[in-house]
Amino acid sequence: MSERILEIKDLRVSFDTYAGEVQAVRGVSLHVDKGEVLAIVGESGCGKSVTAQTVMKLNPMPPARIVSGEIRLGEHDIVAATDKEMQAIRGREVSMIFQDPMTCMNPTMQVGKQIVEAIKLHRKLSPEEAKAEAIRCLKQVNIPNPEERAKQYPHEFSGGMRQRAMIAMALSCDPKLLIADEPTTALDVTIQAQIMDLLAELKDQISTAIILITHDLGVVAGSADRVAVMYAGKVVETGSTQDIFYRNAHPYTQALLKSLPSPDATKREPLVSIPGTPPDLLSPPKGCGFAARCKHCMKICQEEYPPEFTLGEGHTASCWLLHPDCPGAAERGEKNDG
Amino acid sequence: MLRYVLKRIGYAVLTLFFLITIVFFMMRALPGDPFIGDKTPSPTTMANMRAKYGLDKPVTVQYLMYLGNVLRGDLGTSLTYERPVVDIVKSAFAVSADLGIRALIFAVIIGVLLGAVAAIKRGGPMDTFSMVVAMIGVSVPSFILGALLQYFLALKLNQAVGHQVLAVQGWGNFKQTVLPAFALGLGSLATVSRLMRTSMLDVLNQDYIKTARAKGLSRQKILWRHAVRNAIMPVVTIMGPTTAAVLTGTFVIESIFNIPGLGKYFSMSVKDLDFTMIGGTTIFYGALLIVCTLIVDLLYGFIDPRVKLEG
Amino acid sequence: METISKERFAYVGENAKEREAITRPSMTFMQDATRRLVKNRVALICVVLLVLLILISLLAPVVSPFDYREQHYSHTNAPMGTVCDQPDCPGFGHKHIFGTDTLGRDIFTRCWMGGRVSLLIAFSTALIDFFLGVFYGGISGYFGGTTDIIMMRILEIINGIPYLMIIILLRMVMPGGVLSIIVAYSLVGWIPMARLVRGQVVALKQQEFIAAAEALGASPSRLIVKHLLPNTISVVIVRVTLSIPAAIFSEAWLSYMGLGVQLPLCSWGSLAQAGIENFRLYPSQLLIPAVCISLTMLAFNLFGDGLRDAFDPKLRR
Repeated sequence: MSERILEIKDLRVSFDTYAGEVQAVRGVSLHVDKGEVLAIVGESGCGKSVTAQTVMKLNPMPPARIVSGEIRLGEHDIVAATDKEMQAIRGREVSMIFQDPMTCMNPTMQVGKQIVEAIKLHRKLSPEEAKAEAIRCLKQVNIPNPEERAKQYPHEFSGGMRQRAMIAMALSCDPKLLIADEPTTALDVTIQAQIMDLLAELKDQISTAIILITHDLGVVAGSADRVAVMYAGKVVETGSTQDIFYRNAHPYTQALLKSLPSPDATKREPLVSIPGTPPDLLSPPKGCGFAARCKHCMKICQEEYPPEFTLGEGHTASCWLLHPDCPGAAERGEKNDG
Repeated sequence: MLRYVLKRIGYAVLTLFFLITIVFFMMRALPGDPFIGDKTPSPTTMANMRAKYGLDKPVTVQYLMYLGNVLRGDLGTSLTYERPVVDIVKSAFAVSADLGIRALIFAVIIGVLLGAVAAIKRGGPMDTFSMVVAMIGVSVPSFILGALLQYFLALKLNQAVGHQVLAVQGWGNFKQTVLPAFALGLGSLATVSRLMRTSMLDVLNQDYIKTARAKGLSRQKILWRHAVRNAIMPVVTIMGPTTAAVLTGTFVIESIFNIPGLGKYFSMSVKDLDFTMIGGTTIFYGALLIVCTLIVDLLYGFIDPRVKLEG
Repeated sequence: METISKERFAYVGENAKEREAITRPSMTFMQDATRRLVKNRVALICVVLLVLLILISLLAPVVSPFDYREQHYSHTNAPMGTVCDQPDCPGFGHKHIFGTDTLGRDIFTRCWMGGRVSLLIAFSTALIDFFLGVFYGGISGYFGGTTDIIMMRILEIINGIPYLMIIILLRMVMPGGVLSIIVAYSLVGWIPMARLVRGQVVALKQQEFIAAAEALGASPSRLIVKHLLPNTISVVIVRVTLSIPAAIFSEAWLSYMGLGVQLPLCSWGSLAQAGIENFRLYPSQLLIPAVCISLTMLAFNLFGDGLRDAFDPKLRR
């Protein structure tokens, strides 16, 4: 087994709001190995961004609160880390890019300076060297005329260009892990592809592991090694990209895939939406969170949360349908294999 | 860029022109005759006087003459002091400007700091303190504040400690500047600090602050390098009105503290119905404010890279 | 693994009701704003205080045994709580609650008479500002184009002139009196309101829900009444609330310059101005109107803040 970069065990994160405790993350376990791309997919509000931001402790605390669980990043214990330790970890060990490149750069600071700032913080370089390094980083993400561009302000960059600059900034200190929180959602489709290609290219060059957070399974198919599907604050199914696309077992994963348009125009399959909304995590359901929207819902689904069933090497899912005592489990098993 | 500057200057000139016009026609509309004082002069003297001041000519000619005089820097002769208004303005304004600048610096620097700290430590004791200061600043008129400060911090305090801590009135040394500058600046300080607080809270919620944290910057660096710089922008935009508030505030503060500034002359000329003095001072202050606002507007364009200076 | 009874695997299927379940109660905008305003204790206290100040100003001069103009030459500058000793006076035997001024007039009665004048000036100028501002700003913003450009240029030019100086000039031209103060102040006071309303309308017009309403065939009047007004009104109300203390301040300032209401009428500003002259000897003569002015301005400011918070959709939780 290759080197483990990140290990999250049974993480629970809550937000204390005026209405009560919102349990945004309810026992998530994940891991990322060196040089791999893990995609976390799920609807909005399912806890994927909260999980990722907790790795960097970027959620404002309070109202956010780590209730229990473990996060190990390399040799660092994130849960126990102090503010000072976190400052040394952020940017150096793990860095992050965000959804909206239009708002996540300081509008009154030159782009180059914003990158230099990160470099100077974590690497012992002279101002000139840091500047040269920043320009190299901009070049690395295919920004033309990096010397001039570095002197410009963010509003002089286009959206795609800004996201590239964000990636350059995030990778400027060679972090072990890059968290990309919906990096393409706010961009045009053509630019989306460019950004994803860039990430794939960079991943090969510098062996940084990537957590890709998205609700777009199309993005996942082309770039991820492994996928974790999240629903209502829990990981419901995880496995290799192949497992998730071809040997999936959880009804939610299946529903997500059915809602994806097929590029094959000859297939005249209607797109299937998932009716309803995820449960309110202010008062999470006792049983499976997906039960109310699930076609296969059984009595037990409403009463008890299903345990995790192992379906293959690194492929697990939490659904009562997979229980050996469930009627018809045998046939379903065959169908999934086939 | 050039178009923007020219456009702004154009507006300033138009505003100034409008101001002079208003002042001219208001002064014409004023009740009474400037030459009728304690005793009425003979009709021939009156006619001579009128001819001398051009009052026998049609209104339009008089207006153009006035406009020409103002542009040449002639604001008329004060009726009570019997000196050219420009001379009085020249000597007295230095004092007012000194006081005004002190008050402005006090208001802006303390206001920005107070607002920033209040936002950073939201809900903390500093936040409450800044709220109290802001509330006093917006709800106690400067002349009342001035009188109270003069009474308690100068008269009573000096009596209590037995020697002079702060001067009661007058102008010249530092002890005499503290109270008037404070009384004059507190209202603006309140406005600045509250605006800064709101703007700072807004900036602290921005994504780029999250980016800065994700880079691993320390709290201090994030606050001063990223947050304060962006949060200060709205404060810059209200510098024009703030300057106006401070300058008009000098009218009352100067007479309370007996400071020989332009404001004191102005409020006295209002009481004495010295029309040329009122008109002249109004034009001078108006022009000053128009220029200040112009400078602030242009400056803002240079400070904030996002503002595209287009016409 | 422990065996689970077949029964528990009974098929239930989708639950249409539960999957759309919304556990938080929904509220209209006004309900939510009212709820937050009521929860804001400071704002509520301010409302109570303002109502009290207005009521006392209206009633006290009527109830008081003294007339606000009545002078008692033998009883000048009396301290607070002195009993009137002039047998020929209708208030004989009653207390001068706040004492008397340099002419022996009862400060308590004068103070609330002044309150009437100050509040009248403040409320009427705020009301005139409101109508003029909404009218001018609304037209300019709604019609846009050349109308907007011309109307806004005019405003920009007027706005460049310090308004207090214009008021001084106006006050000198016009005869003294409450009405002339209101007119002088209103002539310049509506400009910020007009700019605010115009800015709001222009910003709203660019929003997609207005385009959507237009695309659905909404008439201009419906557009204004149903979409533009409700979305502008909260900002305007806050502005009106905050323009009242500004008017009180300006009135006090004008009084200090000697351009306030004419004697024997009084306002809080003129009382404070008179108080300053005697301040070193009789501090209470300044402190009483000063406290009235400050309390009123404070209450309006805090109430305005509370309103703004209550209306702010960003703070809606």
